[in-house]
Amino acid sequence: MVPLAATGWFDTDSLPTLVTSIISIIIVLYVTYALRKREFKVRRIAGLAAVDDAVGRATEMARPVLYTPGWGGDIQRPTTIASLNILSHVADKTAVYDCRLVFPTHDPVIMAVAQEVVHESYMKAGYPDRYRPADIAYVSSSQFGYAAAVDGLLTRLKPASVFLLGTFEAESLILAETGNSINAIQVAGTDSTIQLSFFIVACDYTLIGEEVFAASGYLSGNKSILASIRAQDIMKVLIAAFILVAVVWVSVENLTGSTPDNWWVF
Amino acid sequence: MRRLQARHYTFLGLAVVITVTMLLNIRLDTRVSPYTRALHDYIESLPPGSVLMVSFDHEASSLPEIRPIARSVLRHAFRKGHRLIGVSLLAEGTLIGYRLMQETAAEYGRQYGSDYVYLGFRPQYIAAILAMGESIRDTYPRDYLGRPYDQFELLRSVENYDDVAAVLSIADGSLTTHWMEYGQARYGVVVLGAVTAAMATTYDPYLASAQMHAMMAGLRGAAEYEKLIGIGGGGARGMLAQSSAHLYVILLIVLGNVAYFVRRREGRRD
Amino acid sequence: MARKFPLAVCFLFGVVMFLQYFSQHEAARAVNQAILDYWQIVFAFTLILGVFSFARNNVTEVRRGRDRVYRIVGLAGLLSMPVLALIWGIKADTPFMWMFENVQAPMQSTVFALLAIFVASASFRGFRARSLPAAVLLISATVMLLSRSNIGGFFSDVLPDVANWIRDYPSMAARRAILIGIGLGSLTTSLRVMVGIERTWLGGEK
Repeated sequence: MVPLAATGWFDTDSLPTLVTSIISIIIVLYVTYALRKREFKVRRIAGLAAVDDAVGRATEMARPVLYTPGWGGDIQRPTTIASLNILSHVADKTAVYDCRLVFPTHDPVIMAVAQEVVHESYMKAGYPDRYRPADIAYVSSSQFGYAAAVDGLLTRLKPASVFLLGTFEAESLILAETGNSINAIQVAGTDSTIQLSFFIVACDYTLIGEEVFAASGYLSGNKSILASIRAQDIMKVLIAAFILVAVVWVSVENLTGSTPDNWWVF
Repeated sequence: MRRLQARHYTFLGLAVVITVTMLLNIRLDTRVSPYTRALHDYIESLPPGSVLMVSFDHEASSLPEIRPIARSVLRHAFRKGHRLIGVSLLAEGTLIGYRLMQETAAEYGRQYGSDYVYLGFRPQYIAAILAMGESIRDTYPRDYLGRPYDQFELLRSVENYDDVAAVLSIADGSLTTHWMEYGQARYGVVVLGAVTAAMATTYDPYLASAQMHAMMAGLRGAAEYEKLIGIGGGGARGMLAQSSAHLYVILLIVLGNVAYFVRRREGRRD
Repeated sequence: MARKFPLAVCFLFGVVMFLQYFSQHEAARAVNQAILDYWQIVFAFTLILGVFSFARNNVTEVRRGRDRVYRIVGLAGLLSMPVLALIWGIKADTPFMWMFENVQAPMQSTVFALLAIFVASASFRGFRARSLPAAVLLISATVMLLSRSNIGGFFSDVLPDVANWIRDYPSMAARRAILIGIGLGSLTTSLRVMVGIERTWLGGEK
């Protein structure tokens, strides 16, 4: 436990966390900068490949696209940032195709940032007049108030395509099933592991966890972002190797009956 | 009138199953799981008078499931003589938490101020959890009813998480994760969970890694806890409805698969 | 400059919050506490932004005659709760809390209850043994549902152990793998934001 009247500049209890954090940061930053000029091939992510088709479908059917980042996140959550990156790409397409984009959210800050993101996309596409700020709206901070509001939009507007990308909680299946009942094509993705199972059952495409974070590199083709995804993969290999070594270590300890070392626990 | 579709019949069927079984009011016997037993045993093992922080991290919507969960564990804590500090990190859980603590404390003749205090809601849960790690007094200068922190005998000896045996997060979402990521990781406080059934598996990895000390989940968890403390409640009462709804869903899965295979066979014949 | 200043602020606060995590010095704790206090103050102001946007959008739609009834009910809710809170307060046994307990809570429970209904329809439609993995998923779901029901006999005595095994091993392994991926994704996204590679949160790449 942390002493009440601590005076030291450095908390020695957090040394393992500090070491791990610094190693991770160095690897990610080094790889990102060292490889930022290289070409990378990112494996095909079906959900992201379907983004263009989903917007195209909505345009053909003369129906809107609905995009919502879920109730569970706020702007400081990396998943929300990743979701806004995908929003930017979707808005690029809706601007060009002149397709209405509706973005209900539970958080006023997310609303403000999303308005900026969508406005920027419409400006970039050369159609600032097609941007409708009222469609990027705050609906309610309450979980089921938000779910009811989005459900209402789904049933009244009958969007042809629905994007459920961000942090979702219990509202996930309510939204996904309502989207399914209006025959919308649905692309979902979340970092909430429990909600993934609901999305997999009810949606056409589901981005699983880290795929949401890889989306901005995948969609934008930005080499620095792609390099950081490569760094992520290197970290994953290192963690897998660490787990493997720890498993072998503890198995050998158990077999030989030696005193547990637990050096990997922190 | 629009014609009813298959899904409308499934909805109606579920409504009938739940309504009928709730009216029957039959209590089924429940086998206690190791998860629920671990939470019970932890609270039982604390010496009487230990300070527990109970955080009502839920909204009003999940009340039918949350109430029996909360009541069972609050009853146990009050009966054991623990002292409770109530907080809420979601605005909607605030009054619900206050009422639950007040009602349960009254059952055991516990006094506000010395046996329990309710501090109420603070916005921005991450900031609130971190701030209480520094000073609960500064985070909540007054209790829920607006009286100064130091007026209460129970609170005078509580500065931050160092003076709290554990935090029990009663949650219907992922807020308990923040208690572990910030309260446990940063300040080392013991985190206990009492969560809705849908959230149970979310917390399994934390439970296995001991970031969460113990957890009970759902109406079934409440029924198990009620059995352990020997007091009947909403958990046991709701188990028939829940069990019947589960069987109904299994029936739907079977029907869906029969229809799928029949259609596939017909398709092959054609 | 319009982009560089927020990027610099973002980087600075990212570094400060990272460093203070590893210090127990009074100065570090004071910085932490001050940032947390300001965080809450900023949050309160953002709510005003949300309320203003909600009111403006709904008033515009009421004028245009679109979904008028829903919009008026929404606006009435938005106005009535603060008015009740300002006049009688928000403690127990006030009109605000009466509204909360007897109007808002039941409405929210109703929407939450839709989840049960949608679980039924999704199970009926989605759980089909189309392939071997789908069949494994289906069997696991059935075992889990039965184990959480009190049917008695085999279903209550043996099945919960099988269900706990599924929960503790295959399910947990998959969940942990996904969590590690999410953790790494969060780390790289946060670093990209801090060093300014990722700028969508500022509205774009400019």
